Amino acid sequence: MAQAAGLSQISTTSGQPYVSKLVLLGSSSVGKTSLVLRYMKQDFSNVLPTVGCAFFTKVVDMGSSSLKLEIWDTAGQEKYHSVCHLYFRGANAALLVYDITRKDSFHKAQQWLEDLEKEFHPGEVVVMLVGNKTDLGEEREVTFQEGKEFAESKNLLFMETSAKLNYQVSEVFSTVAQELLQRAGDRGSSSQEGEAVVLNQEPAARHSQCCP
Amino acid sequence: MDPAERAQAARARVPRIDPYGFERPEDFDYEAYEEFFSTYLVILTKRAIKWSKLLKGSDRIRKSLTVKRYVRKGIPLEHRARVWMAMSGAQAQMDQNPGYYRRLLEGECSPSLEEAIRTDLNRTFPDNVRFRKTSEPCLQKTLYNVLLAYGLHNQGVGYCQGMNFIAGYLILITKNEEESFWLLDALVGRILPDYYSPAMLGLKTDQEVLAELVRMKLPAVAALMDGHGVLWTLLVSRWFICLFVDILPVETVLRIWDCLFNEGSKIIFRVALTLIKQHQEFILEAKSVPDICDKFKQITKGDFVTECHTFMQKIFSEPGSLSMTTITRLRESCRATLLTQG
Repeated sequence: MAQAAGLSQISTTSGQPYVSKLVLLGSSSVGKTSLVLRYMKQDFSNVLPTVGCAFFTKVVDMGSSSLKLEIWDTAGQEKYHSVCHLYFRGANAALLVYDITRKDSFHKAQQWLEDLEKEFHPGEVVVMLVGNKTDLGEEREVTFQEGKEFAESKNLLFMETSAKLNYQVSEVFSTVAQELLQRAGDRGSSSQEGEAVVLNQEPAARHSQCCP
Repeated sequence: MDPAERAQAARARVPRIDPYGFERPEDFDYEAYEEFFSTYLVILTKRAIKWSKLLKGSDRIRKSLTVKRYVRKGIPLEHRARVWMAMSGAQAQMDQNPGYYRRLLEGECSPSLEEAIRTDLNRTFPDNVRFRKTSEPCLQKTLYNVLLAYGLHNQGVGYCQGMNFIAGYLILITKNEEESFWLLDALVGRILPDYYSPAMLGLKTDQEVLAELVRMKLPAVAALMDGHGVLWTLLVSRWFICLFVDILPVETVLRIWDCLFNEGSKIIFRVALTLIKQHQEFILEAKSVPDICDKFKQITKGDFVTECHTFMQKIFSEPGSLSMTTITRLRESCRATLLTQG
């Protein structure tokens, strides 16, 4: 899914940052809201379960260009599945979040991918698989290799994070932002070309950029 | 005293933890609260005397215009549990089904239900001292029991996130597990449409109904939403699902629930319309989707919602007439549209 982006929703006028919509999907209690709050506010606390959807915006400064991310944080409980579908509309990027200590949440992330594939054309959305809670390494049920291999087989970006320890959280968002900008550049917006991002890389090579 | 000193003094007088066990937020405006509370206390005292007279000598509360008027002006905390139980029919259910609640908890278990509930226990009111693991007694266990019993009782619903907040409030008010269970049953099973069922059709319907009501009563706001293609669900789903818990101040939520138990789910529309109408100009300043989302967060904060007595008067005047006939008709048409959309 990571190739040949057609980011029709991304728009820009001179001087304005690109605006992209990013949705977080994944099982209940895997840390979707915690990742967002860590990224937005440099804070980690006992967050309440997300009911419905929460919305945040953040401008990601990428050196020569910037990208405004509209972050849609969704409810994880199965019940909200049909409601979450409403939030897909017009998404440019998705984070499929799972908890490395819960195999079921890894499978759920894969199901979310299938849902995305039904809704979007291949490559229409930048998708990153995110294994959260590396601070609980002793209880790990999903190995790094498993996550990475699945991501590679589906052409997804991949990272492991810890919202609690602030490990690779901002990297997740900046990598996605970089990918979004690169795709916008690939589409031929000449002012963006060649700036801030490395073009013509195989997806596999990009994975290694963002993995430890 | 300069303003900083006044704020400091107010901070010293108002307890850090509210009467329900919630820690006041970091940015809590102690001075404004104290000013509001000094007038509200007079109202509370007056209402307490009136209610004592009303309830004296009769152990049953019958629905009447007097009771409706009294309820709209607020049920005193000491009578709240009893009046909610009576008005909602929860008391009658409990009386007719002795031992039912206990039997649910002693009956067959459901590992997936237990797991879903357990996931949210630590995440329900971490800012309330009575829900802390270390508190004695700890209400997490009570909450677990109520939600588990309810999930076993109403298997079509099971457990849906949001119900934890509602059950939590019921427990704080009734201080009684079984009563909380029957009140939750009154809300989820009878008073609210199917907000928590797997398809959440009742929720989706009511969000559309609100959109229609805004279109009728506040067309400029509706035009703004349409212009930006904003989904109402993004802005208001929590209002419906959580019945304003964790959205409006605690005291205001309880005053809303007083009417909800007596008058039914249309109260939610009254509250939503009042919030939007009161801040119409402010909302119309929004230039983008993030702006709109931000404004909808802001309109649930501040003096307007803290001053619960005035707020409750407004919900019955500001939105204008809102008949149950209108609501029923809109619900039918919105539901039909949703069903054809699949």
